Amino acid sequence: MSSHTSPLRTPLVTGGKTYHDVTHDIARHVENPPNLRWLAALTVSLLFVGIFMYSLYRTLWFGIGEWGLNKTVDWGWDITNFVWWVGIGHAGTLISAVLLLFRQKWRSSINRAAEAMTIFAVICAAMFPVIHMGRPWLAYWFLPFQNTFGSLWVNFNSPLLWDVFAISTYFSVSLVFWYLGLIPDFATIRDRAKGPIAKRAYALLSFNWTGSAKHWSRYEYVSLILAGISTPLVLSVHTIVSMDFATSVIPGWHTTIFPPYFVAGAIFSGFAMVLTLMIITRETFKLKDYITLEHIESMNIIITVTGSIVGVAYITEFFIAWYSQVPAEQYCFINRATGPYWWAYASMMTCNVVSPQLFWFRSLRRNVVFTFILSIFVNIGMWFERFVIIVTSLHRDYIPSSWVMYSPTWVEVGIFTGTMGIFMTAFLLFAKFFPVINMFEVKAILKSSSEPGVFPKRKPSDTAAPVRQAVSPPAGAGVNYDKEQ
Amino acid sequence: MQETIKYWKGYEELEQSPEFVRQAQNEFPDFLPLNGENGEGTSRRDFLKLMGFGLGAATLASCEAPVRNAIPWLNKPETLEPTIANYYASSYFTGNEYVAVLVKSRDGRPIKIEGNPLSAITKGGTSAKAQASVLGLYDEARAHNPLVKGKDSDWKTVDGEIRQRLASASGTVALVTGTIISPSTKRAIAEFAGRYPNFRHVMYDANSASALVKANGGAVPGYEFAKADVVVSVGADFLGTWISPVEYAWHWAQKRKLKRENPQMSRLFAFESIMSLTGANADVRAAVKPSQLPQVVAALYARIVGGAGVTLDKTAEAALDKAAEELKAAQGRALVVCGTNDLASQTLVAEINRALGANGTTIGAPSYVRQGDDAAMLDLIQQMNAGRVGAVLVAANPVYDHPQGKQFAEGLKQAGLTVSFNDRSDETAALCEFLAPDAHYLESWNDFEPKKGFLSLQQPGITPLFNTRQLPESLLRWAGSNANYYEYVKATWKGLGNWDQIVHDGVLQTGASLLTITPQANPMSVSAALSAASASAGSGIELALYEKVGLGTGADANNPWLQEMPDPITKGTWENYVAMPRPMAVEMKLEQGDFVTVSANGTTLTLPVLVQPGQATGSVAVAIGYGRTAAGKVGDKMGANAFPLVTVGDGQLMLAATSGVKIAKADQKRIELAQTQTHHTIMDRLVIQESTLEKYRENPREVTEYEKLATSEGPKAPGEVSLWQDYEYKNHHWGMVIDLNSCIGCSACTIACQAENNVPVVGRQEVVNRREMHWIRIDRYYSENPHKPKDYDAMETPADQPMVVFQPLMCQHCNHAPCETVCPVLATTHSTEGLNQMTYNRCVGTKYCANNCPYKVRRFNWFSYNDNEKFDFNQNNDLGKMVLNPDVTVRARGVMEKCSMCVQRIQLGKLDAKKEKRRPVDGEIVTACAQSCPTEAILFGDMADPNSRITKALKEQHRERAFHVLEAINVQPNVTYLTKIRNVETAKTAEVPA
Amino acid sequence: MMNPAHPAAAAPVAAPAHGHDDHAHPATQRFILGIFDDEDVLMEACEKVLATGTKIYEVFSPYPIHGIDDVLGIKRTRLPIAAFMFGCCGLSLALFLQIYMLWSDWPMIIGGKPHYAFPAFVPVSFELTVLCTAFGMVITFLTVSGLRPKLKVQVMDRRSTDDKFVLAIEQTAKTSLPDLTRLLRANGASEVNEKEISKK
Repeated sequence: MSSHTSPLRTPLVTGGKTYHDVTHDIARHVENPPNLRWLAALTVSLLFVGIFMYSLYRTLWFGIGEWGLNKTVDWGWDITNFVWWVGIGHAGTLISAVLLLFRQKWRSSINRAAEAMTIFAVICAAMFPVIHMGRPWLAYWFLPFQNTFGSLWVNFNSPLLWDVFAISTYFSVSLVFWYLGLIPDFATIRDRAKGPIAKRAYALLSFNWTGSAKHWSRYEYVSLILAGISTPLVLSVHTIVSMDFATSVIPGWHTTIFPPYFVAGAIFSGFAMVLTLMIITRETFKLKDYITLEHIESMNIIITVTGSIVGVAYITEFFIAWYSQVPAEQYCFINRATGPYWWAYASMMTCNVVSPQLFWFRSLRRNVVFTFILSIFVNIGMWFERFVIIVTSLHRDYIPSSWVMYSPTWVEVGIFTGTMGIFMTAFLLFAKFFPVINMFEVKAILKSSSEPGVFPKRKPSDTAAPVRQAVSPPAGAGVNYDKEQ
Repeated sequence: MQETIKYWKGYEELEQSPEFVRQAQNEFPDFLPLNGENGEGTSRRDFLKLMGFGLGAATLASCEAPVRNAIPWLNKPETLEPTIANYYASSYFTGNEYVAVLVKSRDGRPIKIEGNPLSAITKGGTSAKAQASVLGLYDEARAHNPLVKGKDSDWKTVDGEIRQRLASASGTVALVTGTIISPSTKRAIAEFAGRYPNFRHVMYDANSASALVKANGGAVPGYEFAKADVVVSVGADFLGTWISPVEYAWHWAQKRKLKRENPQMSRLFAFESIMSLTGANADVRAAVKPSQLPQVVAALYARIVGGAGVTLDKTAEAALDKAAEELKAAQGRALVVCGTNDLASQTLVAEINRALGANGTTIGAPSYVRQGDDAAMLDLIQQMNAGRVGAVLVAANPVYDHPQGKQFAEGLKQAGLTVSFNDRSDETAALCEFLAPDAHYLESWNDFEPKKGFLSLQQPGITPLFNTRQLPESLLRWAGSNANYYEYVKATWKGLGNWDQIVHDGVLQTGASLLTITPQANPMSVSAALSAASASAGSGIELALYEKVGLGTGADANNPWLQEMPDPITKGTWENYVAMPRPMAVEMKLEQGDFVTVSANGTTLTLPVLVQPGQATGSVAVAIGYGRTAAGKVGDKMGANAFPLVTVGDGQLMLAATSGVKIAKADQKRIELAQTQTHHTIMDRLVIQESTLEKYRENPREVTEYEKLATSEGPKAPGEVSLWQDYEYKNHHWGMVIDLNSCIGCSACTIACQAENNVPVVGRQEVVNRREMHWIRIDRYYSENPHKPKDYDAMETPADQPMVVFQPLMCQHCNHAPCETVCPVLATTHSTEGLNQMTYNRCVGTKYCANNCPYKVRRFNWFSYNDNEKFDFNQNNDLGKMVLNPDVTVRARGVMEKCSMCVQRIQLGKLDAKKEKRRPVDGEIVTACAQSCPTEAILFGDMADPNSRITKALKEQHRERAFHVLEAINVQPNVTYLTKIRNVETAKTAEVPA
Repeated sequence: MMNPAHPAAAAPVAAPAHGHDDHAHPATQRFILGIFDDEDVLMEACEKVLATGTKIYEVFSPYPIHGIDDVLGIKRTRLPIAAFMFGCCGLSLALFLQIYMLWSDWPMIIGGKPHYAFPAFVPVSFELTVLCTAFGMVITFLTVSGLRPKLKVQVMDRRSTDDKFVLAIEQTAKTSLPDLTRLLRANGASEVNEKEISKK
């Protein structure tokens, strides 16, 4: 990363932190025993995981007839949730990759958690395409195996197959990217670790990292290239997800605007979710100096922008429907806004288009509580967006005789809330055992972008003698260093 | 256990041990313990054991039965080849409607009913009831043995008991049956009567036509709609349920099929209280209250014959003027039919037809399918209660389906001997001391004469599954004769021709008549009739009772196919309801699904409301045939029994209540009705196209609207802007042409498809969840009132008196199928013969194809529908499974399914042709739906064959009536529809979006 | 900012290190470690040290120090080229899969589309390209840098992953401790330690 910064820029890390403070503040949570609040949170999330398990059992044992789907609406909450989670999963890689390319230094203290969130969200998302199948135990038929009778392969024309490749690629690459970032920090924790288990565990996790200059130089190239390829990857994933709908013939689905519109929406919801989580983490782990109002504000700005893009997309859809002069198309959109599912459409509009506009006020932009509430609103809105696109397009499509209504059963609801439990559980475990903030990156920007005066530039001549006194460890400690392991 | 049964069966068959063959004769081998009837009380395991043995026995026995004295339909070797289906000509008549059928039998099991093309009456058409009748054969609820006081017994004891008790019977010996049109059975009854002097035979029909019979000298006039250019129906649903719908539908359709040179169509006027199938297909329809139907007849009489008429409301008057004028203009080509069981009306109608010169032209040989005499039945019930009847033998279910069922039940207590011939211990049989179960018609030999001079033979497809015996045979036994009924029937037919040929054809038409019908004079004079009919109608709310096309009078209530068949008009299943016109519902603040109490003739029913466009103002309608209590686990407690509401007039039963009808809101929670269609208008879309005869005559190229796409080179037909080079289908290219003019919406195709393709029944709740499985559905749309374009609210509400249009919709087998593109695992692909084929074992069930299907014809197996207690229908028991078609996979849970254009039939046809080293002949391969259609509305064929009828039809209709549904999205379906043409003034169709 | 209780504090050079050890254990290397508190100071020190002709074994830091590659003369890595190659492999694999499966092995009529429907092949091709690039490159990186899970990790100074910048010079027969120590101190090393680790 370039070491250039403008002196006018407000500090990204406040509170006059030194390198060691950074290490200490962040590693502390990993080293200390879990606090009660954390345990309580974990219990609650595990409860939801339980709900998920039961709903899943009902679904797999009796069949997806347990859901509210019918002959006309064959996708409901399942795919809505799928798209919603994938969307959330976009912020992480976006923050680490795109912002890295754009040299946005403020990303350093949030990218770790954001990436973790990506991973967990994608896990939640990836479950739905499998459990929404009639025969999930045959899910492996999605992979290009020959079938039992010979060379019947998969259908590369099907957007659903593109999804398989896109999601799995996105997941694994994000995972690699994330873990690569963790290696140096694991090394830090390893070198601070006291207990034998912790020592060995983190030694394994840290992949023998020593932080030598040669490694660092390769390491930086690797992360840069990863960022380079992850950026189009992020965009491609939601593009392909949007193609599930865009390539179909159903009015309200068959829309060329979908790829950019979906990507914008994904970033929108992703950032909202990052905010939600970061604000919680910031409060519970006392990391106000690392996740500053500066961060929150920049993210709020992105939310406002993407929110407005999504809004424009909504309006464009209507215009095109009118312009196309296709009756079914026109009816589809009128029906969205005024039909039996108008309430879904209304909630989508208020949450996604109206509410982010409040961020034009700086005071609200920098108001943590308000931001927190609004970030949740945005995610509700984005869930409704997917619901509107999927259900209201399907329930009244071409042939009026087949028009129906759709409402979920408790099993579907259980599965959805269950995935939230899984997501939270995973995130809590991460927050406890992994460094939630990327220590080495923060250190790298510490000098250039923290408050002035912490790092007095020292002349080699006045190399502090007292320092030498300060260090008077037992003789031979250094020599015995190896033997003590 | 399944395995062991199979092995055990197979082993026995292998052995052919005389022991087994002996056991095969009596259904329940003595070495197996059996307590309680048909397995109840024994463990399920035992029951299945027994059943398994039964199947083995049946299968084995049936292997010989037909071979001994029946000739396969096609010229097949007389030995039965496994996996090769045989067709046996037979006849379907269950006291209600008559259909000449072919029984498709596979490995000794009847599995499908087809129409018999040789029949001069039904012309190879069938009805939903006839199609479903094959499932009735495998009904668990049927009696497995003769019963004495509800306990299993054997024929020896039963016969002994009954003979001796009959001999000592004091008072009359009464036999109560439905209409009997079997000469041999009548002979047997006569023989029985000879043995017991004070014998009395009473026939009655649940949906009675006794007035019609009385007014026409003892028989139903032989209406021939094919000869009528103008038809007026007064409350007669002759296309749906009245007398002989299959026959009438074919006849009527002949006058509705458009020829391109000099196009002619008959015109149908309908006056009715409910929205019936006939009304739905009428060109001019006027809704009148039940009490006004006689007035309509009187008014028509006045206009045609003369005399003082009565005046009705404006629409009715206008329709009457038009009708009368056209009837008169069409002397000898006109026909008036009346469905009300009211002697006055029928007398006048007979007069009108005479005046129109219908007799001998549009009215031919009389029909015998209705002989019931209401007066006689009512009298018998009185006699019974007076204790003057010593023995009652009943082969019908009056306790359920007669308005005086209660009294009949009381009367039974008085009789010394009560015997029932019903096939199960139903409402009536349960009250009888003896049950001598009659065999199913597919197990029986019999003969029929549905129309004077039209003989028809009934041939079994299998020997009796249970220990049952045909009614005539029982009577003969008790009359002391030991004649074998097969020989008995043969004797009846002596000298009528080559017996083998007759058995092979199933029908005979030599003019010879075997039935003797005693002619009766009309007790009512025309003048009396006129004054009676003109009597002023009631002013209060009136109740019309009607028969549903599917369930009929409720005799087959335990048949899940019929229960789940959507009613052609209401699209309701599994229940009856109060059909109510919108204004009344609004006035009473009722929403669809709210419960109301309907009281009439001292009975009160509580039923949900269904808002029904076309229902006559100030009247409601309730279907009969529901609310069975002893039909079996499928049919019991479905809806409510409306028979007690029937009005008992002087000597006539009127399926209506014209006075003292009360309707009140019941405080019961609103329910969702199990309808398969809940949106009733086309929303101004080009889904269905219709026009008028006038327009068609002016310019055939104007009647259909073809969408064009805007391109840089100006508007183009969607097909012309295709992205890709299309595939050529060189060998075959299967397709269908569906003539919306001929389709009357009777739904026979739906059931035929269900039987052919093992389509599961899902039950009421799953229909409410919108998950019915029918592969071919009939969409029914009502026209809406005139409205501004894009006024969607107006579009959504049907007119109160709408026009109706039906559209059979199945998989369109698109050549650019959206479903194929999106399947990730290639479970649905296109065949080289243009079929969109579904590979069940490859399907993983993403349901993406169903979402992406613009026609919404794909059906998903949400649950496992076979071997699943939650879906306890025919696919959940060994007996019911015998109806399954071995050529079609039973789909597993979690896979998608849809119409395959009966690919199994196509393959068979190709193989047969191949064996004979030739190409399949056009018409040789027919899909189940096309075969069953009584009006030949569906034409299936090879579009690659230049000489096939379908190719010709498409060439002829190109850019005229031929259109594809949703042509604009260019999915290029292989199913083509022909624009519906109505024979109405153009002005009227302004309302109808086209 | 120095924490006296820091476990990793090494011995000052003054203390006589176990000199005999290197004869006893030929399988070990001995290093002089200059511990710095600041990256810039370290950079200058590096230049100075190199100027004296002393070879620098390695520099360890808690985060990447920019420009140090040039100072230490670390060659530009060829990982990007490797990444590109992997990408090409991925792309060709994807195209082969799709064309072979749908076009040559079992061509089927799917929605009336041609067997070789290139536009439909784009997404999967892209994804596989990215997948192979990422994994190929990262695996290469880990192998060439000898980064793999190990229970026992040898580090010069544990603080180098926390807040210290460590400059390591290998001791050979002709290196003189006092000179080096002086040199490092003069260039701002906060401490100078001696360190012995076993050869891998």
